[in-house]
Amino acid sequence: MKAEFSFIIIDDSELDCFVTKKFLERTNKNFSIEIFHNAEYALESISENNTEEGKLPTIILLDLQMPRMNGFKFVEEFEKLSPEIQKNYIIIILTVLSPSRDPKDLYGIFTYRKINSIVEKPLTKEKLNSLLNEVRMGSIK
Amino acid sequence: MAEKIKVLYVDDEPENLVGFKASLRLDYQILTAVNIPEAISYLDKDPEIRVIFCDQRMPGKTGVDFFEEIRITHPLPVRIMLTAYTDVESIIDAINKGHIFRYVKKPWIEADIIWAIDEANKFYMANSMLAIKNDELQKAYNELNKFAYSVSHDIRGPLSGILGAINLARDVDDVDEMKEMLFLMEKSVTKLNTYVLSMHDYYSLQRGELKITEIDFNNIMDELKAIYSVNSKINDVAFKVNVKQDEVFFSDKAPLRLILNNLLSNAFKYQDKSSKNKSVEVDIEIKKSEAVIYIKDTGIGILSSHLGEIFNLFFRSNSLEVGSGFGLYNVKNALAKLNGHIEVDSVLHQGTTFKVTIPST
Repeated sequence: MKAEFSFIIIDDSELDCFVTKKFLERTNKNFSIEIFHNAEYALESISENNTEEGKLPTIILLDLQMPRMNGFKFVEEFEKLSPEIQKNYIIIILTVLSPSRDPKDLYGIFTYRKINSIVEKPLTKEKLNSLLNEVRMGSIK
Repeated sequence: MAEKIKVLYVDDEPENLVGFKASLRLDYQILTAVNIPEAISYLDKDPEIRVIFCDQRMPGKTGVDFFEEIRITHPLPVRIMLTAYTDVESIIDAINKGHIFRYVKKPWIEADIIWAIDEANKFYMANSMLAIKNDELQKAYNELNKFAYSVSHDIRGPLSGILGAINLARDVDDVDEMKEMLFLMEKSVTKLNTYVLSMHDYYSLQRGELKITEIDFNNIMDELKAIYSVNSKINDVAFKVNVKQDEVFFSDKAPLRLILNNLLSNAFKYQDKSSKNKSVEVDIEIKKSEAVIYIKDTGIGILSSHLGEIFNLFFRSNSLEVGSGFGLYNVKNALAKLNGHIEVDSVLHQGTTFKVTIPST
C-alpha cells in the first residue's frame, strides 16, 4: 500500500532527525522518509525533481539553525527552483523558538515565502498528528 | 605629571593675558584668546583643553554669554569666571546660565588660580572617568543582552532534542532502537555540557585576579598531548609538539591553558575529514621573556571575509561543525588578561595558523 505522504527531514542534529523519523514511522510505517543533515544536499536532491506525477506533495520538515546553509537560506534557494518543482513540496519549519521571540515574528519573516507552517521543537505525537490532519484537511497547502 | 594641563584664558585686555601666561606657563600649558571667536576656534581645534577662564566684561558678548554657548557646544572643559565685576546679578547669571565651576576675583593671586585649576582638573577627570565607565557599562549591557538571548537559544537546541527523544521513548519497546536513541542523547548531553563549561570559562575570565606562577610549557603540553592523543588516533591526525624553553617564564596557568586548549580543540575539530595528510602542529619557543606559540593545522581554513570576526562572541564561521561561539572569544579575553596578542593566517581548504605571543609577567 502506498503511503499518503512522503517526507524530507533537513536538520543538522542527528538526535532531532532520529526522533522526527521515529515519530513519523510510528504514525505510518509506509511513509517514505529521507534525511539530510546538510541543507545543500537536500536542495540538490530536490532540484533533480524525481517525484512522480500525480503524487501528493512531499512534506519538508526544515530546521532553521544549521551550519553552512541555514533554513532561511534554504527557503530562499528553494524559491528559485521552477514552479513545477516547487508545487510538489510543502515546507514546514520545525525549529527551536527563542523564548523572547514570538512565533508570529517568524511568520512575518516568511510572509511572502513558501512556508506552510511553523512547528516548535520538540516534536511530539500530538503536534505531528495535528500537523498531518491539517495537511489532510487541506488547510496547509 | 606626564602632560601639562591645557588651560584657555579669554580676556579682551592683552596685558592680562600676558601676565596670566607668564606666571603659570611653567606648570600648565596656557592658551590665550583676546576675543570670543578666537576662543571658540581654539576649542574647535583642541579637544584637550580642560579648563577655561573667561573675563565677564568684554565687547560684544559677555563671559556669561560665552559660557552659556560653549556649555552646549563644548561641554567637557571646566568653566571658571575670572572677573573684577562682582555684582550679584552677574554671579547669579554665571552660575545659572553659564553653569560655571568657580568664580575667581580679579586682581587674582597665583595661589587662587592654581587651586582653581587643580580642582577643575579633578572635576574634569571625574567626569571623563564617568563617561568612560558609562561607555563600558553600555557595552557590557549590550553584551549581556546578546548573551542571554544566545545562551538560552543554544541551550534549548540540544535540550529540545532530548525532550523529544524522551517523549518518543514512551512508545519504544525495541531495545536496540532504545540504545541507538540513548547514544544520540548522550551526544547531545555531551555537547550541552561542553557548552556550559565554556560558558563558565567565559565567566571566570571576566572576573578574577591573575595567579602568577612559574610556567613549564613542556608540562602543560604533556597534559594536552594526553588529552588530544585519542582524537589524534581516531581521526588519523598527526599531532606534533615542539617546545623550546631554556628560561623561566611566569604567567597565570589557567588562562594560558585555556588559550592552548581552545586553539588545539579547533585545530582538531576543523580538519577536512576527506583529506589524507591531516596534522596539527604546535611550536612553542620562549626567549627574551616572551613565549611565541604557533598552532598550525591542515584543516578546512577560514573564509578571509570571516577572519575579522572570528574573535567576536557568538560568531560562528559557516563551517561543517557547529561551534559554541565562545571559543575564540574566550581566547581573546584570556590573552588580553595576559597582555598577549594573537594573529591568524588562514587559507581555505589548506589550513589555519594561529600565532600567539605572551610576555612573561
